[in-house]
Amino acid sequence: MGDGRTSKLWMPLDNAALIFPAIRRRNWNNVFRQSVTLKEDIDPAVLQRAVNELMPRFPSFYLRLRRGVFWYYLEEVTAPPQVQEDYAYPLTFMTSKEMSRCCLRVLYYRNRIAVEFFHVLSDGGGAMTYLKTLTARYLSLRWGVDVPATDGVLDIHEPPATEELEDSFQRYAADHPAYCPEAEAYRLPGKRELGRFMRLVTGVIPGDALHALAHRCGCTVTVLLAAVMAECVIALQNEHVPKKRQKPVKITVPVDLRRLFPSRTLRNFALAVNPGVDPRLGTYTLEELCAAFTHQLAAEITPQRMAGRIAQNVEPQKNKLLKAVPIFLKTPVMRAVYDRRGERLGCLNVSNLGVQKLPAAMAPYVARMEFIIGVQYSYPNNCSVVTANGVTLVNMIRSIESSELERRFFSRLVELGVPVSIETNE
Amino acid sequence: MYCVKCGVRLQEGVKACPLCGTPVWCPEAGERAPAAPTYSDRYPEYSRQKRLTVMASLTVTLLAAMIACFTIAMNTTGRMGWSFYVIAGTSAFYFVFLLPFWFRRPHPMIFVPVSFVSICLLLLAISAYTGGRWFLSFAFPLTAILAVLTIGAVALFRYVKKGTIFITGGLLIALGGSCMLAELFQHLTFHTPLFTWSLYAASVFCLFGGFLILAGIVRPLREHLERKFFI
Repeated sequence: MGDGRTSKLWMPLDNAALIFPAIRRRNWNNVFRQSVTLKEDIDPAVLQRAVNELMPRFPSFYLRLRRGVFWYYLEEVTAPPQVQEDYAYPLTFMTSKEMSRCCLRVLYYRNRIAVEFFHVLSDGGGAMTYLKTLTARYLSLRWGVDVPATDGVLDIHEPPATEELEDSFQRYAADHPAYCPEAEAYRLPGKRELGRFMRLVTGVIPGDALHALAHRCGCTVTVLLAAVMAECVIALQNEHVPKKRQKPVKITVPVDLRRLFPSRTLRNFALAVNPGVDPRLGTYTLEELCAAFTHQLAAEITPQRMAGRIAQNVEPQKNKLLKAVPIFLKTPVMRAVYDRRGERLGCLNVSNLGVQKLPAAMAPYVARMEFIIGVQYSYPNNCSVVTANGVTLVNMIRSIESSELERRFFSRLVELGVPVSIETNE
Repeated sequence: MYCVKCGVRLQEGVKACPLCGTPVWCPEAGERAPAAPTYSDRYPEYSRQKRLTVMASLTVTLLAAMIACFTIAMNTTGRMGWSFYVIAGTSAFYFVFLLPFWFRRPHPMIFVPVSFVSICLLLLAISAYTGGRWFLSFAFPLTAILAVLTIGAVALFRYVKKGTIFITGGLLIALGGSCMLAELFQHLTFHTPLFTWSLYAASVFCLFGGFLILAGIVRPLREHLERKFFI
């Protein structure tokens, strides 16, 4: 890392981020969004001030993507990003030109502040800290609210800690890699639409109702949602593919490694686990799916297994021969490996940020929080979930016209006794 | 308001359920204010113009280079001479490599045949310009065979979802056969000995193709190979 103040701050990409610049395409890249809806309309000038003031506290967010000879790297931006009015749909394509200015985008619409991050900067956990602190600073500047530095809000007057900027993958990798060969999963049907419009269906669900249902099923909310999603995907596969040719139905569940390791990093520190079932072996009830997913996740999400999987990912990065390969050769190889393995192990993501606690001084001003991940390159649907102020928002995004998966998923939740309100951007 | 089919609660003012498309029937709908839109009506502007500008400037540059070559050749030697090859070669290059970039989503089933037609025309022009008698008996059939093979490969990989291993095996065998045909045309045109190098090439291609088809049929072998060559 550069010394920071005498010259421009720069940092190499963390282990998880290495793949993202390599796999981006002309019309797709890995960007996610978090937003907070307040009870009053946003003042863009005040928001811009808050964004500017956060720059010294969050140096790992105000970065732009640069291309080196052997690796991509991140470099400090010359000026903080300008806040802009939100677009007609979330996660509009972030062009290479935009990334070379800043990998972060701050948007506002009516009473909503949204931040869109290119995944090289951070994962959902780190990004949520940024959004909460930005909201706290905005409220402080706009309404004079004094928000204490608790519940994920950082004190902007403190200098950033070294641990917040570290690549925790390097620190917590095991000595021995844990190889885990996995079967390919069923790929959801649907042809990508022309243009880049993303269709979003948001299910607004009372957090208590969902939690009670999960309790009845003997699992967590994440497992419940993944199991309901798997049930819908199995039904879709039964409709489209004859039994003999079916593939396992697996749901990709990102795991925040900060819960397993004592890391304070604000950069990427998450790994994905792919629990699933093979529909060729028989039919499954929701309870059976919940039990299968609970056990699979419990077996996989242990510090030892995760450290082994981190070691597996870190190993090629440390290989001296691979290090010396120029980036123009590395990129197509990384892309080919990703296409062959990365996206084929799950049918879609169910990414749950969990219950986000807000400082008591901030909570009355916040109506709700949202978390939206984009679609993957080859599969057309994705799902992201966050709970705040007692409301769970399930965002299902798609790049295809058919809303069949969404219909099945939300109808099933209604059938199970969970009230669901639907909002769309169409 | 609820959807009678899905059971989900809908935003005020919607005419149909966004999930299943069922029309919403609500007698009080007119009395209630529609919900505010969740997103603005602002669309991002992507620079399509930039690609078109680059293509236009490339086209103009190549055209200028061709005209310059022609003028220089005419001024120095009084005839087209070497500039003919530059002009013909550049034109073929343009049709094969640059023409698809004018379009946002170039369709390979259109541009692959166009590429082969332009290569064929280039060879015909060279043959006619040099007074060679090799076009009809050698260049044309060879280009046609390669065109059929390539277009077939593109169509099969694009439209047939299953059986990649069989398609690849079959194409390799066809490529082996094409090598022998190429040498046959070479023999007929240039009176070279028949079937010398092509036998080696054809046997290698057929061996690989046959092996792939075998691997496609024998499942344990395929799975063993997948394990061995897993990336």
